[in-house]
Amino acid sequence: MKTLADLKKIREKAQEDMKLRGGNVRIKIVVGMGTSGIAMGAREVMKTFLEEIAARNLTDVMVTQTGEKGLSSMEPVVDIIEEDKPKVTYGNMNPDKVKKVVVEHIVNGRVVSDYVVATGN
Amino acid sequence: MQDISLHLLDIIENSARAEAKNIKVRIIQNNLKNHLRIIVEDDGTGMDSPTMEKAQNPFYTSKVEREKKVGLGIPLFKQNAELVGGSFKMASEPGFGTVLTVDLVLDHIDRMPLGNLKDTLLGVIIGHPDIDFFIQLIYRDRSVEHCFHFDTKAIREELGDIPLTYPDVIEYIDQSLYEGIQNTNMEDV
Repeated sequence: MKTLADLKKIREKAQEDMKLRGGNVRIKIVVGMGTSGIAMGAREVMKTFLEEIAARNLTDVMVTQTGEKGLSSMEPVVDIIEEDKPKVTYGNMNPDKVKKVVVEHIVNGRVVSDYVVATGN
Repeated sequence: MQDISLHLLDIIENSARAEAKNIKVRIIQNNLKNHLRIIVEDDGTGMDSPTMEKAQNPFYTSKVEREKKVGLGIPLFKQNAELVGGSFKMASEPGFGTVLTVDLVLDHIDRMPLGNLKDTLLGVIIGHPDIDFFIQLIYRDRSVEHCFHFDTKAIREELGDIPLTYPDVIEYIDQSLYEGIQNTNMEDV
């Protein structure tokens, strides 16, 4: 059984981590989770991002969910937001595309232009 | 939406958009009463009665930026509940929040399955770092009662300034939810 004591250990480890590299968030991932996004598989997209972050031990990435923004025909939609860079919006996402975006964009900093549906604001 | 967990996700996103700070989710399976109840309670902006009426109509949405005035989340859940002899109730008060209660006949042959509750809950917990979630799963049968409680407040207190997106924390929450869902037989009824 998972207990709060397990969290204490995680906290100690995480604090060591933070000391080494500072606690800032480098990249923010925002998954559109409106009704149409959910119907098109946005939950699986979210889940895959979380799995990849855990598997690759990405400690400077943040993932959040938001409502839809009028791109219903391209759901599931994901925004990648980095400081000092234009926002990149990926559309028609699925778990396989998420894995590619994590490797290419999140880890290696190369935008996967095939999946991009909008950039900037 | 094929299952309850997807409707639940949609409803929780409504609460998040209504600026809720605390969201309580309760799912109660009562075998003695042949009853499955889902309750989502938030402390968001709430609605007055006319707005609440309208929210149950598919040709209404609170999203002002939307050109076509369609909002299907609540009407679909309501329809899917009522089609199988269940009920869908909303109570709300501006400034206080909204409570949504869905009652279903547990063994109705066409009842939607619960679906993947774990991925719904994991996503909303980590995807809304500013909202506290209190989750309660309860399973009742003749002589047994299994409960699972999950409270993000307690987790945050323990973690201090470590974010919920920290890789080990994601795994911890995922595993906790998995165990809780197994122990209360909610993996898929």
